Amino acid sequence: MVKFLKPNKAVVLLHGRFAGHKATIVKNYDDGTRERPYGHCLVAGVAKYPSKVIRKDSAKKQAKKSRVKAFIKLVNYTHIMPTRYTLDVDLKDVVSPDALVSRDKKVTACKEVKAKFEERFKTGKNRWFFSKLRF
Amino acid sequence: MVATKKTKKTHESINNRLALVMKSGKYTLGYKTVLKTLRNSKGKLILISNNCPPLRKSEIEYYAMLAKVMVHHYSGNNVDLGTACGKFHRVSCLSIIDPGDSDIIKALAGDN
Repeated sequence: MVKFLKPNKAVVLLHGRFAGHKATIVKNYDDGTRERPYGHCLVAGVAKYPSKVIRKDSAKKQAKKSRVKAFIKLVNYTHIMPTRYTLDVDLKDVVSPDALVSRDKKVTACKEVKAKFEERFKTGKNRWFFSKLRF
Repeated sequence: MVATKKTKKTHESINNRLALVMKSGKYTLGYKTVLKTLRNSKGKLILISNNCPPLRKSEIEYYAMLAKVMVHHYSGNNVDLGTACGKFHRVSCLSIIDPGDSDIIKALAGDN
């Protein structure tokens, strides 16, 4: 009886191009909107995971390997699998529904999300989130 | 995990309580609606039949763990659970939203 689909919850997408990719909920729309009359949420996720960085790598190589590509998407609740993990990255001001209106707004929003994700990955926290789900 | 031997008496009482819920309370039957009630935190008790596919059973249990909702593994298959609900079709999982006059939730919580 506890609501668990809240912002910052880590989820796994189940359908679509990003199936099997991990994402974090930015905003919920439990009762839907006029265009989407079902429960859905705005998620920001990892499109391309960072590669494994080893100690032998040079600084330039480490920087190249730690790159993350992000995506923003509106996704139905039935197409996500919630997990017990959370990702506490403040994406509320960066990601908003009007970022999805036009392509260049989406690209700039994704770039900012990418920067935040890379910053979080480099601290070494939330390692589960940045590891690829193998299936 | 040791499976406790379900005595006939407690099993019958669960059936009785379920019948009362069907009569007086609110419930939904079926996997899709069970997940829906778990997502919008309306479900109070989930019942799963014993022949529910293990992946589906684990998924429902995981959702219930996130939502902190009790799951009861009904000792009987989906045919029996459907009969216990008074329906003429199989019911593999069901979600009780409002128990009505029944005390099924208190009874099962008391058991555990």
